[in-house]
Amino acid sequence: MLANYFAAWAFAYIGMLALCQGLERHYKQVWNKPPSVALRRILRTAGWLSLAVSFYFCGLAWGWAMGPIGWFGLISLSGFTLLMLLPYRARLAVWLPLGFAPVWTMMSTLG
Amino acid sequence: MKQTLTQSLAWLHTWGGLIVGWLLFAIFLTGSLAVFDQEIDNWMHPELPAHHLTDEQAVERALGYLREHKPDAKQWGISLPEERSPELRASTGGRRDGVSVTLDPNTGDVLPVRESAGGRFFFLFHFTLFMPGMLGIYVVGALAMGMLAALISGIVIHKKFFKEFFTFRPAKGQRSWLDAHNASAVLLLPFHLMITYSGLAIFLVIYMPAAMDALFDGNREAFFKAQDAAPAVVEVKRSAISEPAPLVAMGPLLAKAREVMGPLSGVSITNPGMSDAVIQIRPILGNRIALIKGGGMRFDGVTGEQLSGPTEMRASVLTHRVISGMHFAQFGGYSMRWVYFICGLISSAMIATGLVLFTVKRRRKYASESRVAQGFYHVIEALNVTVMAGLSLACIAFLWGNHLLPVGMAERRDAELTVFFGVWGLSLVHALLRPRLHAWREQLALAGVMCVGLPVLSLLTVNQPWALHSRMGVELTAIVLGGMLLWACWKVSQPQVERAPRKKAAVLAEGN
Repeated sequence: MLANYFAAWAFAYIGMLALCQGLERHYKQVWNKPPSVALRRILRTAGWLSLAVSFYFCGLAWGWAMGPIGWFGLISLSGFTLLMLLPYRARLAVWLPLGFAPVWTMMSTLG
Repeated sequence: MKQTLTQSLAWLHTWGGLIVGWLLFAIFLTGSLAVFDQEIDNWMHPELPAHHLTDEQAVERALGYLREHKPDAKQWGISLPEERSPELRASTGGRRDGVSVTLDPNTGDVLPVRESAGGRFFFLFHFTLFMPGMLGIYVVGALAMGMLAALISGIVIHKKFFKEFFTFRPAKGQRSWLDAHNASAVLLLPFHLMITYSGLAIFLVIYMPAAMDALFDGNREAFFKAQDAAPAVVEVKRSAISEPAPLVAMGPLLAKAREVMGPLSGVSITNPGMSDAVIQIRPILGNRIALIKGGGMRFDGVTGEQLSGPTEMRASVLTHRVISGMHFAQFGGYSMRWVYFICGLISSAMIATGLVLFTVKRRRKYASESRVAQGFYHVIEALNVTVMAGLSLACIAFLWGNHLLPVGMAERRDAELTVFFGVWGLSLVHALLRPRLHAWREQLALAGVMCVGLPVLSLLTVNQPWALHSRMGVELTAIVLGGMLLWACWKVSQPQVERAPRKKAAVLAEGN
């Protein structure tokens, strides 16, 4: 159960991260070079797809009536997390999703 | 001088935002706290023990008390312990004139509980501001309209809505305040719009009475009556004679109600012990999004036959209830409460950064202005301290007051309110008398220390302070919030970076 909430937030974060990195300013902020047009397009598509996956997990976690409300909330909150991480720990903000998989696995096995 | 639309809206946003911002901050902060009103209430009633009763056992305990002490009452009420509240209450009489007692869930005897304004205080303050009569509700409505105006004008004057979607540049003085204000407003825009609009919609009959006046001659009773669709009655022919008869076993009725409606909040029994007894069982708020008060299912008190409910709502009424429900955030369990709580806090911070920005932008300028103007800005600075740091201080002092005031004190509820408003008033005096930075630092530090010290206070004043998880949750949250206040205090004490010599003109030109 908890795993679904976490997955919903995690995919919202990944989505916002990809959309953010699809912007030239923030890509440069992390990698010190501008992204290619193709890469930017891929990042943006991936971002929207990830938000869609987040919607799916919100539906699983809260049900399909309450899920959409939680989805908007989680997108905002994950975006805010990213906003606070970027200026202080830009690389961490980008690599953070690598830590999501073990946390999610732990949550879904525990309960 | 001819102005562009953006310039006019910027003016509106700046001055309109300043005027509504102070009270909006108070509304948003107390509203966020009200998300956990029940948990705060548990904390403020440390006498309540944890319970492990099923609904059936709890009802039996309460019925045992009522049979013994109030056998002749026309109406019995039982409010059941549930996930968020361990309190078992038994009452007699109607909703208005009723008398209720808290029962010890383990023994069924009356449990002495301290008198307290409780967590409900934050909820009430959130939409009435404790103004007399209906005034507060109108003021809050006007402020919500102001919030909507500020949101819309803010969107229009924000030049780089998408380009700066994720932009926050800390430690750059005014630039940072503007970034924080913009980004927290933009990222949480769905929440801001939803919470403001739904807040207005709750009181639509009060704010827009014209339709009710036209259709129902202003008769509110008739209006509410018309909202009830024909109740889904399974009307049973019932004899008109009333004679003593034993009450039906509650267990099966509770099980049936739970199956239909989800977790239950209470039971009321009309004419208990008579042949025309009626049992009403109500669900907790939050089994669904729509905010449903009252309602529930009715059963014959002797045969146990279902008489009516749960009522279906008309589409128009349901729409209104769902919008209200989205504001009250009773649905979706603790996970949803946390989403609302954190969103609410960030909204408060968004308003706070806007208020600070107003003064940061003008600070350099008003040093050279007339004495009157300087006095004006001094008052604004002081109000900023009072509203942000002072209100935080008053909120935490309110909790301290709850534990420190003598338990048996007369009119204890009013004394707690006096603590809240007294501390808030003192913070204004302090902010007016002290230099700006000192006022900020001292009030933030005190509020932060009191937040962090909350568990120590409990340990010293209460037996078994952590018998309930929700109490520990309140204190852990207070520690985190206190940590943020202390961090803010530390930041205020740092040397200022406002006058970064580089690109000073550019910064001024960019600030909108």
